Amino acid sequence: MINTRFIVPLVVFVTLVFFLYQGLFSDPRERDSQVLAQPMPTFSLPDLMDPSVIHTNKVFIGQVTLLNIWGVWCVTCAIELPYLTELSQQGVRFVGLYYDQDLDPDFGTKTLARVQQEVTETTNQLGNPFEFNIFDVYRDTSLDLGVTGAPETLLIDQQGVIRVHHIGDINPRVWETKFAPLYDELIAQGVTQ
Amino acid sequence: MKIIIATMLALIISTSVMATQENYAFETDQQRVDFKRLTAELRCPMCQNQNIADSDAMIAHDMRRKVYQLITQGNNHDQVIDFMKQRYGDFVHYQPPVTNTTIWLWILPFSVLLLGGWILVRRKPIDINNSVSDTDKVHAIDQDALIAKAEAMLEKDK
Repeated sequence: MINTRFIVPLVVFVTLVFFLYQGLFSDPRERDSQVLAQPMPTFSLPDLMDPSVIHTNKVFIGQVTLLNIWGVWCVTCAIELPYLTELSQQGVRFVGLYYDQDLDPDFGTKTLARVQQEVTETTNQLGNPFEFNIFDVYRDTSLDLGVTGAPETLLIDQQGVIRVHHIGDINPRVWETKFAPLYDELIAQGVTQ
Repeated sequence: MKIIIATMLALIISTSVMATQENYAFETDQQRVDFKRLTAELRCPMCQNQNIADSDAMIAHDMRRKVYQLITQGNNHDQVIDFMKQRYGDFVHYQPPVTNTTIWLWILPFSVLLLGGWILVRRKPIDINNSVSDTDKVHAIDQDALIAKAEAMLEKDK
């Protein structure tokens, strides 16, 4: 009788401590992406620099691509740009999904020429890892991808399927742990195919 | 004094005007009701605990715009919720579905309640006559003696 009197509260207490202790180290912002292992949502968007060019899902077929969601207004993007440029010089293919911060695209006051100028200034200064930039005019594609802000990066395989969805910047540590293993594997697969 | 009050009132009113800067025009009242309900029920994925009606984050603006678009295209409440869940997961809705994980939020409180009830029922009431040990018996005799003594004293006082 004495035993259970001690053991039951002890077990409850230990379980509670374990549960709360885990909570100390959990990231409340961390959520599973809904687009993993899904094909890239259908899109048809103009090129940022030359709006007469329309990009579709075809741009991802046949090559391993890192789709970087960014904007010149985004502070963290500016921090990762030099490292992304370094990676692109090593042969990693980067495509930008650019979106502007004008709160309401329907009534935005910024001209396209102004946006282009800002992007050119930024990439001249910090490096340009992008093969080209897709201009997500109404931010619909970002919404389809479950993007919550910038920067975010997706690893898309040769079949146009999203394999990694990373929120936040890419730095050497993130690249080594989250991207490189799968990226190398996909590249190796592409070579043997 | 009146001027100060008037200025303060003006400031208070003007902030609430700013909060409703986005003006969405609806064809029917039902659409307006749906929009209000949806923006209150959908949670901003960027901010920790705000619905998209309250939040000023860019993503909340975009989601409001999308909700408006979907409603005016004739989607009903559940279709809009499904659309958002498909993109942002269950997190985005303030009414999470019952799953293998969330079922514990229902089970645990009720099981604690049941456990408490069970302990209360199982606990035997203290029965002086049956559960007395030898020392208790001695004690009981003492008590009887004391009561007799007290009664004798009361008698005396009469």
